[in-house]
Amino acid sequence: MINIQNLHFAYRKKPVFTGLSLRLQPGHIYGLLGKNGTGKSTLLRNIAGLLFPDKGSIDVLGFTPGKRQPAFLQEIFIVPEEFYLPDVPLQHLVQYHAPFYPKFNKAQFEKYIAEFDIPVASSLQNMSYGQKKKVLISFGLASNASMLLMDEPTNGLDIMSKSQFRKVMAGVMDENKCIVISTHQVKDLENLIDRITVIDEGKILFDQTVDTISRKLSFQIAFDSEEIKQALYGESSLRGSAIITANTTGEESKLDLELLYKAIVLNGPAITAVFKD
Amino acid sequence: MGKHWSENRKKYTLALIAIAGLLLLWYTVMLISDGYWGIGPSVQLSTYYSGLFIAGCLYGSMLFADLGSKTRGLNYLVVPASHLEKLFCSLFYAVVVFFVCYTSIFYIVDAIMLKAGNALAYNHWLKHHAAGDVFEPRKIANVFYQSEQSRKPDMLVYLLLLYFVIQAVFIVGSVYFARFSFIKTTIAALLTGLFIAFLIGKVIFPILPHGSFYQGITSYKVYTVKEGVTINGVTEGISIYSDPATDKLVTLPTWIGDVLLFLLKFAFAPLLWLATYFRLKEKEI
Repeated sequence: MINIQNLHFAYRKKPVFTGLSLRLQPGHIYGLLGKNGTGKSTLLRNIAGLLFPDKGSIDVLGFTPGKRQPAFLQEIFIVPEEFYLPDVPLQHLVQYHAPFYPKFNKAQFEKYIAEFDIPVASSLQNMSYGQKKKVLISFGLASNASMLLMDEPTNGLDIMSKSQFRKVMAGVMDENKCIVISTHQVKDLENLIDRITVIDEGKILFDQTVDTISRKLSFQIAFDSEEIKQALYGESSLRGSAIITANTTGEESKLDLELLYKAIVLNGPAITAVFKD
Repeated sequence: MGKHWSENRKKYTLALIAIAGLLLLWYTVMLISDGYWGIGPSVQLSTYYSGLFIAGCLYGSMLFADLGSKTRGLNYLVVPASHLEKLFCSLFYAVVVFFVCYTSIFYIVDAIMLKAGNALAYNHWLKHHAAGDVFEPRKIANVFYQSEQSRKPDMLVYLLLLYFVIQAVFIVGSVYFARFSFIKTTIAALLTGLFIAFLIGKVIFPILPHGSFYQGITSYKVYTVKEGVTINGVTEGISIYSDPATDKLVTLPTWIGDVLLFLLKFAFAPLLWLATYFRLKEKEI
């Protein structure tokens, strides 16, 4: 679905990607994780055709994104971190914007709007940032585009909305869709994403499915100092030490995304070594 | 088209009301300052074209202002339509709709203010006219055509074509310059004009033989050059003078002149729109 080969990209003279390669398949929700300024948003913009690679190639559904052909744009929807919605009533957004997306489903849109508790009669200008974001997410999902790119989608959402977001997202996935969620708020994505891709310094540091991670790694709370010492990564908490070890028993534990992310960033080689077996 | 209108109708309506208000204000000032006869044909023409150039170019310079903002630009570029469709939509509003709306508003204001001015003038005339005088009210001017008696009846058509070219310059500028597009485009256009003037004055003219263009740009009269000027018995330098007997006339076929004129009249604006299209295609956010 998305095939990125040897991507080079720089802002003026500041390189962001120097040879990044990545393949994303339909039927998955990818969590794109990374520190601030590592190029997550830049990667999404390259995929959406808003930025052009300096070198290398990007293929999305057989299209070259940079050409921004209508047939490509109909199949991709981006929810940026900072976004703009025109000052129009909600009905006008559907009436005038939706016809650009042939697979747009109005009933679906209304369903998401209801789930997000958005006041239907309100104009977009009178809505809060969080409400507008939920409108944009609802529109993106109802567009039924094959590629949905979301940059920090839970930023600005309150606690209830974050849980509504997870609920809505869990219900939209099908085998033809590919959703990429870029975030550094990893807790918001737990139980939602099924593949984790970590970018650092413009390179892919880690790229595994949640199933594989659960099979290969074990997440637990440890009190035994020897166990803590031998862990691939650990950090102390009030309830003992949260550690990651290689899963030798075959018993699956609950994935702690935040802990895993820290482990990859701070002790990447040890973590990736487990997956080489 | 519908999407563009739904997103911009408030802004456009307010802008048109503002234009109508400014025209009303201007005509009122003219009536107050220049008596009841302030709105003559020349005032109507100059008002129409000044307003058209200022408002049209300002609108042109804001046409792609969204691209200067990351959020608005993204919203614009990801709309599933081709760059050509997006450009045509913007040009339709900036070139066609604006022109029709501005002209309509101008004529509405013009008609209202002429009626008011004529009514005031008639009252004044009733009180002060001499016996035998006939009251002649001011008439609405045709802003696209001057009377046959005028020295240059085509001048207004050229002015109108020039407007579309200058507006097209500001439209290109709105894609090139993310911020302060109007000011930057004005500066860029002035610098380009200065450069062309320099090129003609300091590079092209020195290359050409001594002479001048003669009846248009397709014929050039080369003056007679004689070696040496004798002053007090000493001969030096050259003397250049026009002598019908010895001057040479270099003439290009008339169709070249016709083609050049056609290009100047009708091709500049479309070429600038084409430049806008290519810039739009390569725009990154």
